[in-house]
Order: sequence, then C-alpha cells, then structure tokens
Amino acid sequence: MTAKLRNFDYLSFAVMIALIAIGTVSVWSAGNARTEAVFHGTWLRNLATAAFGLVLYLAIAFSDYRRWLGLVAAPAYCLALALLVAVLIFGSEQFGGRRWLWFFQPSEISKLCVIAMIAWLYGGEDSPIAGVRRTFRGFLIAAAVVGLPALLILKEPDLGTALTLIPAAVVMLVVAGVWRRGLVTILAGGGIAALMVLGAVYEAERPGVARERRDKIMRFVPLRDHQVRRVKTFLFQDEDQTGAGYNLRQAKIAIGSGGFSGKGIGKSDSSHLKYLPQAVSMNDFIFCVYAEETGFIGSLVLLALFGTLLVLGCRAAFLSADGGGRLLALGVSTLVFAHVYVNVAMSIGVVPITGLPLPFISSGRTFLITAMCGFGVIQSVTIHREVKKR
Amino acid sequence: MSAGDSLAGRLSCCALAMAFIVGLLHLAVRLREVQVVEAADYGYILGRQAERRVQTGGTRGRIFDRNGSVLADNRESVSIICRPSFFKKRTWDEIASGIIAAISNVESVVGRPSPVTAKDVRRHIARSLAMPLPVWRDVDDGELARFSERESEFPGFAAEVVAERVYPQRRLAAHLLGYVGRDRGESVAGDEKFNFFLPELRGRSGIEHYYDGFLIGVPGERKLLVDARGFTIREWTVVEAKKGPDLRLTIDSGVQRAVERQLRGEIGACVVLDPRNGEVLAMASAPGFDPNDFVPVLRTEVYERFAGDPSKPLLNRATGGAFAPGSTFKPITALAGLRAGYPETAEYNCDGVYQLGMMRIHCARRWGHGELDLRRALMKSCNPFFCNLGMDIGTNALIAAARDFGLGRRTGVDFGVDSPGVVPDGEWKLRKYREKWFQGDLAQMSIGQGMLLVTPLQMAMVAGAIGTGYSVMPHLKADMAPVRRPLPFAAAHLRAVREGMRMVVAGDGESGGSGWRGGEGVPVPVSGKTGTAEVGRRDRRRNNTWFIAYAPSEAPRVAVAMLIEDGVSGGGTAAPKVAEILKAVFNDG
Repeated sequence: MTAKLRNFDYLSFAVMIALIAIGTVSVWSAGNARTEAVFHGTWLRNLATAAFGLVLYLAIAFSDYRRWLGLVAAPAYCLALALLVAVLIFGSEQFGGRRWLWFFQPSEISKLCVIAMIAWLYGGEDSPIAGVRRTFRGFLIAAAVVGLPALLILKEPDLGTALTLIPAAVVMLVVAGVWRRGLVTILAGGGIAALMVLGAVYEAERPGVARERRDKIMRFVPLRDHQVRRVKTFLFQDEDQTGAGYNLRQAKIAIGSGGFSGKGIGKSDSSHLKYLPQAVSMNDFIFCVYAEETGFIGSLVLLALFGTLLVLGCRAAFLSADGGGRLLALGVSTLVFAHVYVNVAMSIGVVPITGLPLPFISSGRTFLITAMCGFGVIQSVTIHREVKKR
Repeated sequence: MSAGDSLAGRLSCCALAMAFIVGLLHLAVRLREVQVVEAADYGYILGRQAERRVQTGGTRGRIFDRNGSVLADNRESVSIICRPSFFKKRTWDEIASGIIAAISNVESVVGRPSPVTAKDVRRHIARSLAMPLPVWRDVDDGELARFSERESEFPGFAAEVVAERVYPQRRLAAHLLGYVGRDRGESVAGDEKFNFFLPELRGRSGIEHYYDGFLIGVPGERKLLVDARGFTIREWTVVEAKKGPDLRLTIDSGVQRAVERQLRGEIGACVVLDPRNGEVLAMASAPGFDPNDFVPVLRTEVYERFAGDPSKPLLNRATGGAFAPGSTFKPITALAGLRAGYPETAEYNCDGVYQLGMMRIHCARRWGHGELDLRRALMKSCNPFFCNLGMDIGTNALIAAARDFGLGRRTGVDFGVDSPGVVPDGEWKLRKYREKWFQGDLAQMSIGQGMLLVTPLQMAMVAGAIGTGYSVMPHLKADMAPVRRPLPFAAAHLRAVREGMRMVVAGDGESGGSGWRGGEGVPVPVSGKTGTAEVGRRDRRRNNTWFIAYAPSEAPRVAVAMLIEDGVSGGGTAAPKVAEILKAVFNDG
C-alpha cells in the first residue's frame, strides 16, 4: 500500500477535484438562473454524485487494472452493447434523441467499455487475439469492436458521443500498431465523407439555391433535420440569429461579453436573463456561463487545468510498462480531450453545435461518473506502472 | 511485444500530449478573439438585447396669470399598476389571461371596474411588456385604502404616484388654457435612443399645446434590464427628469372672470387686450368646458357630449371662429374713404334704403337719417352712407384698408388656433364661387356683410389700433417685447373716426349713439362701435351682435371685442356686456 501511495498522482487528483469544484459553482450559478426551483438544487445533486464518483475513483485507482482488465473488458463491452440496444427500444425521447434509459445514458458508459475492450484486445497480455493484432484480421476485429457500438450510438442519434469515441479508438489502435493501411484508408475515407457532407449542405443551403436543387442534394446527405440545421448554423454563422442560430449567437454573446476578467461568480447575465437557452445552459453550454462569469482569465485557467490533466494522462501512458495500461490511459485522455475541445469549440462557433458535456463541469451525472471512473483507471495505470509479475 | 516495443509507444504518448496542448492552445487563441478582441462588441450586443431605455417625463410647469394666481397646477394622483413580470407563463395567451383574471380579482377590492380591456392587456403584452400597465388611474382615497389593505394578496399590483394636471379655477379660461392628454406609452421601433416613452402629459390644445415644449421640462431616463422574453428583471434611473418651467400669462383672472360672467348662457366670444403692447387680458369663448374633465383621460361619455353638442363647446370662437363683422367694420370703411380723399365733412343723404339694381340695403332707421356726415354716420351706424362711400372709393381701396388692419391674415398670436378670416376680393370670389365680383359685393362689404369674415381677436385689435394709431401683435405669454406697426392712415383721419366712435357711445349732444349702453357706468370715456350682422338663410336668419370698444377714449389702455351669436342687436346685446367688463377693469384699477 505504501508503494501505491508513493506512486499515486496527487497532482492529477487535485486538478480533478478543482475541476469538479469549478463545475459545482458553475452549475449552481446556471441552476439559480432557471425559473424552475427544482434546478436550484442541481449543484447539490452533482456534488453528491461526485462523492459517489470519488469512491469509485479511489476503488478503481487502488485496484490493479491488470488483474481485472481481462475479466471485465469482454462482459462490460457486451453489457454496453445490450444497453445500447435496450435504449433504442425502451429509452425515453428527449431533445430529438433516444438517449436515456431509466436514470442514465448508456452511450456515456459505453465509451469506457469500448476503451477497455480495445485496451484488452490490443494491449492485454491475456488477449485472445494477441497473435493477429497487426494483421488484416486484427483490423477487421477492431472495426467491428468500434463500429458496432458507434452505429448503435449514431442510431439514437448521439453524434457527439460517436465523434468523441472514434478519435479515442483510433488513437488507441494507432498506438497499438493495428494494420496501418486499413486505418489510414478508413480515416481518410471518413474525413472525405465528412467534408463531402459539409460541402453538400453548403451547396444546398447557400442563399439563392432553388428548392428542388436543395431537396435533390439533401436526399444524399445522411443527417437528421436537426443535425442539418446545426451544420447550417455553423456554416452560415451570422445569417440566422433567431432560429437554429440563436443558440450559437447567444453562446458567443455570453462568452464574449464576459470580456477579459469576467462579470463575477453567479453574475452571468446571459443565463440569468435567460438569453442562453435554458435547457442546455447547465449541460452543453455550461462553458458559456463559466466564461461569462470568469472571463478570458477563467477560460485560460480552465484550459490549463484540462491541459495538466491530459498531459498527466499521457505521462501515465508513457510510464506504463504494460501495453493494456498504456492504451487505457491514452484512450481515456483522448476521449476527455475530444469532449473538452468539441464542447468549447462549438460554443464559439469553431465546430458545429453537438450535444456534448464538458467533463467535470457540466451537470450530467452519468458522464461525471464516467469521467471520474476514467481518471480512476488512469490513476490505476499510474500507480501500477512498475513491471511486476502477478 | 505489442506495447512492449517501448520506444515507439512512448514516443506516441509524447506526440499525443503535444497534440492535446496544441488543441487547447487553439481554443485559447480563439477564445482570446471572442473574449478580448471582440469583447466590447459582444458586450454591446448583450446590452442591446437586454436593456430597454425609457424616457421619463418631468412634471409639467404650472401656468399663472399676470398677477400670479394659478391657472394650471399639478396634483399627486395615485394609479394602480400591474407589472407583467409577475405573470410569467409559458405562452403569451396564458400570461394575458392570467393578468386579466388578476385584474378582475383586484376589481372586486377596488370597487370600480377598470377601463382596461382584454384587448388592452394583449396589446400591452405585445408592445410594452417591459413596462407596467396602468390599470386604474386617479384612484380616490377609499379605493386606495381598500386596495392597500389587501395589496399583499395581489402580487404584481402596486400603487404608484404620478403627477396629474389640475385646473384649480375649473372652467375659467378653458379654451385659452386648453387641456392635456397622454400618448400611449409604446415601444419605438428602430435604433432610436429610447425604447419606450412614458405616457407623459402632452398639451392637446390651447396654451398647453402651444407652449407644450416649454412646459414639459427636460425628460429623464430609466433603464430596464429585460430577460430573453422581454420581462423586466431590474430597473434603475439613469437621469432624473427635470420639472418644466412655470409659464406666466398676460391674462388677468379678474378680467377673465368678468368676461366669462357676461358670456354665461350665451354663445359667443370676447377678447380684451391692452392695445399699447398687445397683452391679451382676457380671452373667452362660450359655451365652455371644464378642462379637468380631460384628466386623467377623456372619458368617452364626456367626449360624446362635447362632440354631439351643436353649440360646439370645444371650439374657441375667440380665435378660431370666423364671423361677419357687420357694422363694426364701418370705421375701416370710413378710414378707407378718408384716405381716398373724401373730406370728413362731406355728407351723403340717407333715405332709409340703399338701392343697387335689384339689391336693397335697408338702414336701421327705416325712414332714413337724411343728410349726415361721417362722424354722425358712424354714430348712427347708417348703412346707405357707408354703401355710398364704399361704392365711391372702390373695392381696392376698401380691401387695402381692411388688410392694413390685419384682417384676412393670422394675427401671429402665440396660440395654436389663429384663424385668418377672409377679406374677399375678385380673385378670391372667382376661385371660391366661380363668380365675378359684383358691385353688390362691394356695397355689402362696405357695411361688413357679405363674404367678409373676422375673428373676435382681430376685431379687438382693430378697436385698439384705431384708438392708439398703431397695431400690435397680440400675445399671451407675459414679458414679451411688443411688436408695433404704425397704421398707414393720417392722424387727422384717425381723429375723425375716433370722434365718430366716441359719439357711438356718448352721442352728439342732441341724440344718443347706437352703442350708448357700452359706456354705461364706466368711470372712463369709452369709444366703440356696434355691429349686427345678419347670418343664415332667410327663414333662419339670426343676428350676430358685436360691440368693439377701447377705453379710455383719449389714451386707450383696453380694447375689447365682444361677439354674441343670435342676439338682438349690437347696441342692445353686446354693448351692455362690454360696459360691465370695462367697469370691472377700471374699477379695480
């Protein structure tokens, strides 16, 4: 135990706690701004969730991941797949997507499960496919392992989750050395497809395009209506300021009006005056509230905290002597980075708006626990980094 | 194997860390753009969408008469208002019905139905949601007490003190003072400085209207912080409104009261002014009204009573009504004749009727005055004399004289209603009636009949100008420099006409003048001229009776014009009333 405590990454832990504290304050501010009294206590529920997450975090951190990865990965992955199927059948509809099952979102949990599965298959010493990792067969297996949950998540649809899971998986597979040609092909194909979709939407929604032409083009665009709207808003940021563009505009106004030093904690005009869309001000748009209240300084502090956390995640991978551990750490770090990047970038119009929480800050309980468990895993990788036979 | 090949694996860890840092730096750079470079723009946009600027009106200035007695004042009035932000609901319809229901609840406590309709509420929500809606204006003490007792039961309702106009002398000088009204407090579209204008009192007629910009003071500014739906969250005052300055008039309440006493029960108008400087001492029109009826808002039934009244109580006859001057025009005809070279001693014979083709103009004295000169013609108001004189000098000379007295032209008085009247000529008649100018028209005009129209204010000016020898621009605001213009008539001619007008009141020693009652009991000598203008068609012929006068005769300090519609005669109806007014003026000093 003393060895474990010696290896414990206190800085990472402290940064995580700091982020949770920032999140709690932001949720308190955004919640107070809402008319419905029920949201005034959301920050407290979040704090309770964080306490529960902390127990999980410590439990995972101090248990040797090498001991349970092989046991847990496959069943967890199968369970995640089952939940993703279940949510499509029994889930409750909200904001144009079927994402909720009872009190949690299976897609959030599935992120960790997929990462664990890939880490085990492509890094674990007891992996059943240890011999074929770098072959075409290994690539096919990887495609199936990532593609299956990704398709189910897209079916909900939860484009944001799919978009964060895929980079994490790709990074892990690249580091694991999976058949490169296949990966490159898929990535290039995906990139080209994404550009084509963007180009098609641009061509179709450009002002002055005839209706028939628009409809003809849009028939080939594999996006839902609300997704098309978001892409449109992104492409033509200054045109539509009331409809779909309203959210983006208000997000930018909130962040921009915060200025250099912010308006002070709890003094976000945009959320208190309800210009910021109320339904998402505590979740996907929490960064706007935070940035308006703390200004550019606050934004930098937040980015620095995330940077520290992510670099420490890479350090864990760097120090790990174990392939599985390294992949786990890199996967979780990439996943969190993707969330941070997309969430902040969408608030200022750098990427299209997608429903993604900001790790530790947004008031999503499922994702808070997911993220804490993820960093628990990284902590476990840090603690158990020495080569040691069981 | 696998991740065991450490070097490549470890390098990729470093590469990934670098990638993360680059990504976060990218965000930092973009955030700097938004939060530092463009921060001011976004701050401005937030202000634009979240702030409403309200222009608030200051208290109106008071209006005094020349001696400092108050004609228009302000009083504190309590309104019960409703703040829409207390009725937040999901849809606008729910908000409107919530407010309407709440109003009817409060109604049962206040005990007076609110004039605010469901339509008003919807309109208010649509146009000025951020502002309070006045539900009851000017509630009395009992209503306020009942409301205050249970105010806490009605969130969103409050009592608010506003300034209302009050006219303490009630009907006195109503047409002169005018009245006030409220604009709707609506939002203003576009990039105006203000989003809302408080429904402040604006002058709608009379002095209140003409001097509105003077009385209204300097507006203040309030800011409202509104949420995304437009409800007010917070409000504060940026600039306090300043009270408007007080206005002192040339009006003398005592004279005004005397004038109105004489007009009581009549339809008519009277103007009293100081011919030396143009100060209007009294100006009244009858029937009148009480301007307090227009406060806080003009009620429909009151308005309908005014609108349906054939005697037009809202019409200011003193400056806005145009009437045939009748014989009061004869001094002008006389002056025109003298200027044209007719000696003042020349006589015409009056046999009781003046005949021109088919047209017969009778004299007041059916059997005629016989031979008489200009002074006695004025004194007796002999029609044939002036018809003959007019025919002899011609249309142009007569018209020129009328215009020299300012007839047919706005007087320039500082008042909104200032009718020019009509001095007809050939061109005018052709344009208006598509008819040539006949000799008969000239004969009619010579005795102030026909198409000639004047206002009582103009006739008061004529009387004063004859008395002083110069015309002045009339004015109502005190302490204005007089604008004088000498009359283009020779002093000797004026003297002759003045003598005639003196004889109208005083007689010539043998017989009395037509306006002898105009000087009855007045402590100073009075000069004047009667007038009885026949108006209306043959079957409904009425007499508009006039008396114009100035006094004291030798150095006039007061000029009066009195018009009574549907009287008996100028000498019998109007002259005694003028005498009463002059008694009030000169007995009080």
